Amino acid sequence: MKWIRRSSGIAAAAGLALTLAACSGGAEGAGGDSQDGTGDVSGQIAVAWWGGEARSAKTNAVIDLFTAQNDGVKVDGQATADFSKYFDKLNVQAASQSLPCAVQLQGRQVNDYTKNDLLMPLDPMIESGAIDVSDIPKSVLDNGRGTDGKLYFLPYGAAYDAVGINTTLADEAGVGLPEEGYDWDDYMSYLTEAQESLPEGVRAIDSNGGRPNFFIGWTLANGKSLFNDEGKLGFTEQDLTEYWNMWETVRKAGVTMPAARTAEEPTGPDQGFFATGEVMSDTIPGNALTPATETLEGQGEGQEMTTIPFPSGPAGSGNALYPSGFAIPVSCDNVPTAAAFIDFFTNDLEAGKAFAADNGAPTNTKVLEALIADDSLTPTKKHELELYKQIVESDPQAIVFPPGYQATFESSFKRAYEDVSFGKSTVEDAVKQFFSEANSSLGT
Amino acid sequence: MTSVKTHTIPRIYPGTPVKNTFVRAIIRHALLICVLFVLLYPLLWLLGASFRPNNEVFNGLGLFSENYTIQNYIDGWGAGSASFTRYFGNSLLVTVVSILGNLFSCSLTAYAFARLNFPFKNALFAILIGTMLLPMHVTLVPQYILFNKLGWINTYFPLTIPHWLGVDAFFIFLMVQFIRNLPRELDESARLDGCGHFGIFLRIVMPLSLPAIGTTAMFTFIWTWNDFLGPLLYLNRSDMQTVPLALNAFLDSTGQSSYGELFAMSVLSLAPIVGFFIVSQRLLIEGIATTGMK
Amino acid sequence: MSVHTQTSSPETIQSVLGSKARKRDWRKREVAVAFVFLAPWLIGLIGLTLGPMLYSLYLSFTDYNLLSSPKWVGLQNFVTMFTSDERFWVSTRVTIVYVIFGVPLILIVSLMIAALLNSKIAFLSGYRALFYLPSLMGASVAIAALWRQIFGGNGLINQILSYFGIEAGSWVGNPDTALGTLVVLALWAFGSTMIIFLAGLRQIPAELYEAAAVDGAGRVRRFLNITLPMLTPIIFFNALMVTINAFQAFTPAYVISGGTGGPVNSTLFYTLYLYQQGFAQLNMGYASAMAWLLVAVLAIFSGLFFWSSRYWVYYGDK
Repeated sequence: MKWIRRSSGIAAAAGLALTLAACSGGAEGAGGDSQDGTGDVSGQIAVAWWGGEARSAKTNAVIDLFTAQNDGVKVDGQATADFSKYFDKLNVQAASQSLPCAVQLQGRQVNDYTKNDLLMPLDPMIESGAIDVSDIPKSVLDNGRGTDGKLYFLPYGAAYDAVGINTTLADEAGVGLPEEGYDWDDYMSYLTEAQESLPEGVRAIDSNGGRPNFFIGWTLANGKSLFNDEGKLGFTEQDLTEYWNMWETVRKAGVTMPAARTAEEPTGPDQGFFATGEVMSDTIPGNALTPATETLEGQGEGQEMTTIPFPSGPAGSGNALYPSGFAIPVSCDNVPTAAAFIDFFTNDLEAGKAFAADNGAPTNTKVLEALIADDSLTPTKKHELELYKQIVESDPQAIVFPPGYQATFESSFKRAYEDVSFGKSTVEDAVKQFFSEANSSLGT
Repeated sequence: MTSVKTHTIPRIYPGTPVKNTFVRAIIRHALLICVLFVLLYPLLWLLGASFRPNNEVFNGLGLFSENYTIQNYIDGWGAGSASFTRYFGNSLLVTVVSILGNLFSCSLTAYAFARLNFPFKNALFAILIGTMLLPMHVTLVPQYILFNKLGWINTYFPLTIPHWLGVDAFFIFLMVQFIRNLPRELDESARLDGCGHFGIFLRIVMPLSLPAIGTTAMFTFIWTWNDFLGPLLYLNRSDMQTVPLALNAFLDSTGQSSYGELFAMSVLSLAPIVGFFIVSQRLLIEGIATTGMK
Repeated sequence: MSVHTQTSSPETIQSVLGSKARKRDWRKREVAVAFVFLAPWLIGLIGLTLGPMLYSLYLSFTDYNLLSSPKWVGLQNFVTMFTSDERFWVSTRVTIVYVIFGVPLILIVSLMIAALLNSKIAFLSGYRALFYLPSLMGASVAIAALWRQIFGGNGLINQILSYFGIEAGSWVGNPDTALGTLVVLALWAFGSTMIIFLAGLRQIPAELYEAAAVDGAGRVRRFLNITLPMLTPIIFFNALMVTINAFQAFTPAYVISGGTGGPVNSTLFYTLYLYQQGFAQLNMGYASAMAWLLVAVLAIFSGLFFWSSRYWVYYGDK
C-alpha cells in the first residue's frame, strides 16, 4: 500500500539557513563623556522624535545638513509616528539603559525622567558655549527646566494653544470674532449667542470641560496656580467645581457637542470636528491651523478658519507655551556630538528653514524672523508664527509640570469630566474623584 | 481510516438526492453574496477612499467620488526616507523567515507532544499552554532587555529567531490537536515497514497534517506581516522598517496625517496576504484530499 | 535536514533485528528522540520565554516604574488591586461581559460559515478568501477610522436607520453600546477561527460520510453524528483559544478608543487597563501583578477545560 507522497517542503524549510543582515547598531566610540558638552564632534549618535511622515522628512533634512557640516558624524534617526507609542518605546529603552543620545521631550513629561536622574542638566553646556541660548527668550527657555530649576531640554519649537474660530460659520451666525481682550464669560456668551443661529447639526463648540489645556488657560487667566511646591494640585476643589459648572451650563444648553459625539472624536487636529466644520470654535494647538485648514478646504463648502489667543482674565493672558525640545540622557556616551546636534537643530538658520516650524514656532528669534520673512511659507503658517510672537510678547508664565503629569493628570481629568457629561457623576463627586486620583500620584 | 479507492465519489456530503440543483445554487449564492456585501462594505469603502484626494477622504459614506485620483498610491509609495519597495521587501524577508521557523519548530514539538512518550510530558505541556496565558505587555520590557544584551536591537533577529525556537505555543497546540486526530495505526504500519520516528514524522504525520501546516503558514504570514509592536521596538533604522511601521507614519496625532496615502498603502499591503491566502488554501486546504490519502 | 539523515541510518540497521527486540529498543529510543524533537522549543523556552516570564512574576511583587530599579513591596500590589482600585473591578467586569457575549458568538458563526464553505459550490475558494478578508486587516491603523465611519454619530448605521426614520446617537461614543461595537468588530474578523474549523473539516475522512450516506443518514444527522464528534479536538482548540484571546483582548479597544478604554470606561478591557498601568502610568509592578492574576484565572479555567475534554473530545488516535 502506498499512502503518502514524499514531501520535501518541510525538509527544505528546516534546512534553510538563516540569511539575515545583522547590522547591530550601538555607539561607536568618539568623544568623551564630558558634562559640559565640549569635545570631539564625531562618531555616531541616535536621535529620537515623535511625528509622522511629514515631520520625519523635515527632521531628516536637518540631520543631513548637520552631517554635511560635521565630517565623520553619523546620526541614526528614530521616528515614532504615534505620540503615546513614542513614549512607550522611550520607556522601554530607558528600562534597558539604551536611550538615544538626543530624545525629544516636552515639559509635560520631562520631570518623569529628571525624577529618576535620567537626564543631564544642560546648564554646564551653556556655560561652556557648547549650546547657545542667547537668541531664545527667557520665558520660552524656562519651559525646559525641571523641578530643580536646571535646564533639561532645549526648547526648539514652541507650541501654544489657541482658540480656533470658523470665521465663515461665525459670520453667518452674526457673531464675528470675539473682541480683543475677551474673558471667559465673554467667550461663553459669545458661543451661546452663536448657537442660536448656527445651521442644524453644527454646534458652537466641542464638549470641552475635559481638555486639560483649556483648563490650564483658565487657571492662568484667573491667577490660580496649577501645582504647588510639592508638585500636587495647586488650585482648590472650589476652582475646579466652578470651571466644570461653567462647561455644564453650556453643554446642557446644547451649545456644545453631545458627550457621545465628543467621545468618538478622532484625536488628530486635522480630523476633529473643528477641522470638519461641525463645530464653530474649539481649542486647537496653534500649529494645527495648517492641517485643520486643509481638511476644512476639502469639505468643499468654502469655509475659512483662523486662530486667536485664549480668553484672558484678571491675571492677564491665558496662554501658555508647550515647547518641544531635545534632552540628553545621562547614559549618552557621545555628549559633545549630542550637544552639537541639539544646538544646531535649535539655532541654525538653515536647519530652521528646513524644518519649517513643523512642531511649533521656532524658539530662536532669528530663525523665527527669517521664517516670517520667507516668501515660501503659506499665509496660514505665517499666521501661526505671528500669533506666537504676539503671545510671547505678553510674557507667558512658564509651567513646570511635576512628575506624573502626563501619566495621571491628563487622563484622570478627561475621565472625571466625561463621567459628569455622561450624567454618571455630579460635578462635586467628579472633582473629589479627580483630586484624589491626581494627588495620589502627582509629584511622587 | 483506509485509503480512498476511487476518485469519482464526491468527497464531502456525497450522494444527496438533488432536485432543483440550479435553483438551490442560485439561492445559496445570493445568500452568500448578501452576507459578503455587508461584511466587505467597510473594505470597499476603504478602497474607494484610497482613490480620493487626501482632504476629501472622510467626505461621505458612498463608494464613489468625482475626484478619483491615483495620486495617493503614487505619493504613498514614495513616502518615507526609503520607499515602500524597501518596506515591502523588509516585511517579506521577516515574514518568510518566520514562516519557515514556525513550520520547523512547531511541527517537531507538536509531533513529540502528540506521538511520543517522555518524562515530564504533562508538566511540559502545561508549561506550553501556560506560556500563552501571560499578557505580552509585561514581558515586553524584560524581553527587550534580553535582546538588547544579545546585541539584537536594530536587527531582524528579535522578530525571526524566536519563531525558529517555537515561541508560538498557539501553533504547537494547534498541530498537536491535528496530529492527535490521526489514527495511530498509520504509524504502526509505517514502523513495521522500517520507518523510524523521523520517517513517520516526515512521511506519515506531516503530509496528513497539511491543513494544520497550511493554517500555521497562513496565520504566521498574517500575524508577522501585520505585527506592529515588535518592529516598533526593535527596528530603529528607517531603511529597516516593515510595512505596518511605515503605514503608521502616515498618521500623526500632533500634526498632519495623510489618510489618503494610508488607505492606499493599506490596500496594497493587503495584496500579498490575499495572494498568499489564495495560493496556500489551494495547495493545502484543497490539497489534502487529493494528495494525502492515495 | 541534517538531524534527519544522522538518525535514519541506525534505524535502517534496526530494521534487520528481530521484531520484539526492536520494539523494546524502540521504546527506549523514544525518549531520546522526543528530546531531539523538543530541542528547538526547549531552547526557546529556557532561553527566550521563561526568563522574561519569571522576571515579570518577580516584578509583580515590586514597585517598578521602568525608569529606576524595582523595589520589593511584597503583596502590596495585589492588596491595592482588591481593596482600593475601582478601575480594576470595572475592567474585570467589562472583560467578563465581552467574554460571555463574544466567545459563543464567534465560535458559532465561524463554525457555521466554515461548514457552509466546506460544501461543493462554485467559486468556493473565491468565497473563502472574501470571507477571510476582514480578518486580514488585523489591527491596522485604518480600522479605527473605518469603525467610526460605520458606528459613529454620522456613520453608516445611523444613515441607514434615519432612512427608516429612526434617530440613533453615536454607537462608539455611547457608553451603553461601545462594548457592543467591539463584539461586532470581533465577529467581523472571525476568519482565523473559521479557517481552523475549515482545516478541521477537511481532515474528516470522506468515506465516513459515504458510509453514512449509504445508511441513509440525512444532512443533519450526518452533521451531528460525524462532523461534530470528529471535529471535537478542533472545537476544543478553538473554544480554548478564543476564550483566552477574549480574556486578553487588547487591540480592538486600544485602536477604537485611542487607548483610553472610554467612553466612561465602557471598553476598559483588563489588558488595556494593565497596559495603561504599565506603560502610561509607569506602574509596571502593578501591571505585572494584574497579569499574573489573569494567568492564575486562565490556568484554572484551562485546567478545568482540559479535564472536561476527556468527556467530550474524541481523538482519532484512541
